[in-house]
Amino acid sequence: MASVLIVDDASFMRMMIKDILTKNEFDIAGEAANGQEAVDMFKELSPDLVTMDITMPEKDGIAALKEIQGEHPEAKVIMCSAMGQQSMVIDAIQAGAKDFIVKPFQADRVMDAINKVLG
Amino acid sequence: MAVETAEGYVKVIVFQLKEEEYAIEVDHVQSIERMQSVTRIPGVEAYIIGVMNLRGVITPVIDLRKRFGIESQSYDEATRILVLKKDNNEIGFIVDGANDVMDIAESRIEPTPEVVGGVAEEYLRGVVKLDDRLFTLLHIDKILNKNEEKRSGA
Amino acid sequence: MSQSEYLEVFIDESQEHLQTLNDNLMKLEKEPADISIVGEIFRSAHTLKGMGATMGFEDLAHLTHNMENVLDLIRNEQLEVTSHVMDVVFESVDDLEEMVVDISNGGDGSRDVQEAVKKLEALQHGEKAADPQTEAAAAVEAAPAPENTGSVQEDYDEYERTVLTQSKEQGYYPYKIEIVLDEQTMLKAARVYMVFEVLEQVGDIIKSTPPADDLEDENFEFAFVITVISSVEKEELEKRVMKVSEIASVTIEEVDVTFQEKRPASKTEEASPAPAAADQAKKKEPKSKKQDKKEETPKKGNELNKTIRVNIDRLDVLMNLFEELVIDRGRLEQISSDLDNSELSETVERMSRISGDLQEIILNMRMMPVDQVFNRFPRMVRSLSKELGKQVNLEITGAETELDRTIIDEIGDPLVHLIRNSIDHGVEEPHVREAAGKPAQGTVQLRAYHSGNHVFIEIEDDGAGIDQDKIIKKALDNGVVTEDDIEKMSDQQIFGLMFSSGFSTAEEITDISGRGVGLDVVRSTFETLGGSVTVDSEFGQGSLFSVQLPLTLSIIDVMLVEVGEEKYGVPLTAIVETAIVSKEEVYSAHNQKVIDFRGNVIPLVFLNDIFQVPDHEREAETEYYSLVIVSKGDKIAGLVVDSLIGQHDVVLKSLGNYLTNVFAISGATILGDGQVALILDSNALIK
Repeated sequence: MASVLIVDDASFMRMMIKDILTKNEFDIAGEAANGQEAVDMFKELSPDLVTMDITMPEKDGIAALKEIQGEHPEAKVIMCSAMGQQSMVIDAIQAGAKDFIVKPFQADRVMDAINKVLG
Repeated sequence: MAVETAEGYVKVIVFQLKEEEYAIEVDHVQSIERMQSVTRIPGVEAYIIGVMNLRGVITPVIDLRKRFGIESQSYDEATRILVLKKDNNEIGFIVDGANDVMDIAESRIEPTPEVVGGVAEEYLRGVVKLDDRLFTLLHIDKILNKNEEKRSGA
Repeated sequence: MSQSEYLEVFIDESQEHLQTLNDNLMKLEKEPADISIVGEIFRSAHTLKGMGATMGFEDLAHLTHNMENVLDLIRNEQLEVTSHVMDVVFESVDDLEEMVVDISNGGDGSRDVQEAVKKLEALQHGEKAADPQTEAAAAVEAAPAPENTGSVQEDYDEYERTVLTQSKEQGYYPYKIEIVLDEQTMLKAARVYMVFEVLEQVGDIIKSTPPADDLEDENFEFAFVITVISSVEKEELEKRVMKVSEIASVTIEEVDVTFQEKRPASKTEEASPAPAAADQAKKKEPKSKKQDKKEETPKKGNELNKTIRVNIDRLDVLMNLFEELVIDRGRLEQISSDLDNSELSETVERMSRISGDLQEIILNMRMMPVDQVFNRFPRMVRSLSKELGKQVNLEITGAETELDRTIIDEIGDPLVHLIRNSIDHGVEEPHVREAAGKPAQGTVQLRAYHSGNHVFIEIEDDGAGIDQDKIIKKALDNGVVTEDDIEKMSDQQIFGLMFSSGFSTAEEITDISGRGVGLDVVRSTFETLGGSVTVDSEFGQGSLFSVQLPLTLSIIDVMLVEVGEEKYGVPLTAIVETAIVSKEEVYSAHNQKVIDFRGNVIPLVFLNDIFQVPDHEREAETEYYSLVIVSKGDKIAGLVVDSLIGQHDVVLKSLGNYLTNVFAISGATILGDGQVALILDSNALIK
């Protein structure tokens, strides 16, 4: 089963995604609470997929994405964004993000994006 | 005797104090203990005889005879401590004996005469006559409420 | 994961973010130029919005959304941080707090936020410079662009037709692709951008309808048409586009170049190679270089420690279990000393040591910084001083000082009361202060620090101070003391009268510090925690309220003593030393038995008298008194007991809610043999 690294500074949001993923029988490779943790954990865990929040302390999601893509161009990262972050999402897509999902998360949408990226 | 509390019934524990029988709703009763060692607390009301170690919890113990102003007698084999719980306060009440659990129909609870066996009316919820027995149903809140009583010991 | 579990995390995290909001807003108010703070604030508001929306708390999401807009303007320096702006944002945070409180009380978090939103909107519209993106976004709903619906129809101009024809001749397929986004798609422009990206990997985009600028500004409903020349097959192209999520449908057909050519054409025919056309198309692609709009990377926030959340109930259970262990440890120690078996006593000793370490860890786990309580005070002082028309600067020191969480939970309200009191009755109005030669702004210092086994919390103001004569008069009027009492009292004791029950009268209870409770409630709260509160003041110069609290509840070191048949524990923290003195050394002064102890005359307190120990006859049997010398501040007294049993670690337990205010008894403990021993509050015995 595909493994997913969940990155979000709000544990509430992580829980939300985790719940959706485990219900759909994904493995949770790990959870990171900021961009730096995400980069470190990606190296360590090499997950099949990353869900990456954009606004985070320490290192934001886009910086983390760029760092991950720089070292692992094959990495599959889905951005988690909120309304009003259009330009950042576009930046992220440019930087190699495979897709994005918008908060509030809806399970079917999240799964749709993930399946498309992994499929 | 009915096992389950049907609608309109109160399940009570019956206990004795100087030849009178009293009843208290079972919901309030945490446990019934044998008499045990009680540590005196200085400077409190005389009816508070002290505190005991009830499975690790410091529990105040009240002599119900003293509380009701009935003459004291020494504790014996039959003496029991009824442990009641109200709003997270556990309090032990020393009674002469306690062994019956009964279901009493609400309809059989009659208003109290003014004084029963020396116990003032405010502590009483009602009287129940069952066959040849007479129980006085106690008002748990009133008994636990220390403010009802003027401090005498301190 | 159940809804309620989500809710629990949601509430926890929302409260944290509200606190961050409050803290950083206060910071911002002090340093309005520091835009990095705005970044922090924005981030918290943003996260709250996301969480609120996810849980379906629409008012909360709506309000945070509007806050975010205002914060965005501040961040982009389009809006200045004025006192008015801060007020509005603070009010919104208050609303948010109310909502979260409502939610945590089981409510649905709904609240009329129209007022707050209106104010936030006024800030946005009144003072902002043109913000094309927001406006464009707002325009989406209002004026949907004309839509191509149904069949894929596209008009090409001369130039485009040429490109299409030429590409066809070069073996490329010209495709018209109609793409319909899912109706619930949010961030449509980003979706469009993804589609463009996918298509550019396999071809060149010639044209889009609506034009790229409109797509970028989301001036379309859900459908758009792209014309592309590509070498890949139609099916492959469709597959690639469908890989983008949130796309409802893709319809691809090859452009009929000949049909297009038959259409009435324009005169000029510019021959231009395909690559140039592609360049042209590229120019139209949504501009992604809005770097200026990019969110500023927040400065280093709090380093995230590796922590896990543990429900406090579990810690309480752990603590209770450990307490039982300590009781058994006491019992084992006793058995071991009775049996005098070296192997047993070694093992028991080892176990005692380990459980001592364990005890420290458990107690430490329960420690929390007082900041948990202090952090709400800056906001409170801010609004309170506004309300009263006073200028108050609150200085907090020692917020990192740690206390047992049980204590932390309890001290909030009484501290609020004391601080309100300082501002309401202490700090004067600016003109009064100036007239008295003080700066217009008053200062309230809130300090916390460790000292021995205690934590001190002090609240000091440079306000009007307390008028002793007024206190005395009021205490006499209300019958708290008699004239005779007053004679014998020190200044501190007179100030202390403020804390006696019956001192406060209804007439002077204000909305601020009154609230129907007097300082006596404050005192008794601290006392039930094993602490105390004192006040000192210099009239005209200010007052100092000092609260002393035990570092931790629960396990304390005591000296066990025997009086008659009864055993009492005296906390080691209060003991200066123990002594045995001959009865001959005792003499009387002013009706009080005293001894000369190291050059000081100290009064003796006979516990058997104070506690009316029954059947106490031992006194006659011996020529010596066993003394426990205890101190309170700089005062000393000798407690007379029958014998000293020894030093023990015991678990301090409360006597419960039924037995309150037992004189000179602070609690009880269970000894190794299961008996209950009372713990003395020696402070009450020293006069």
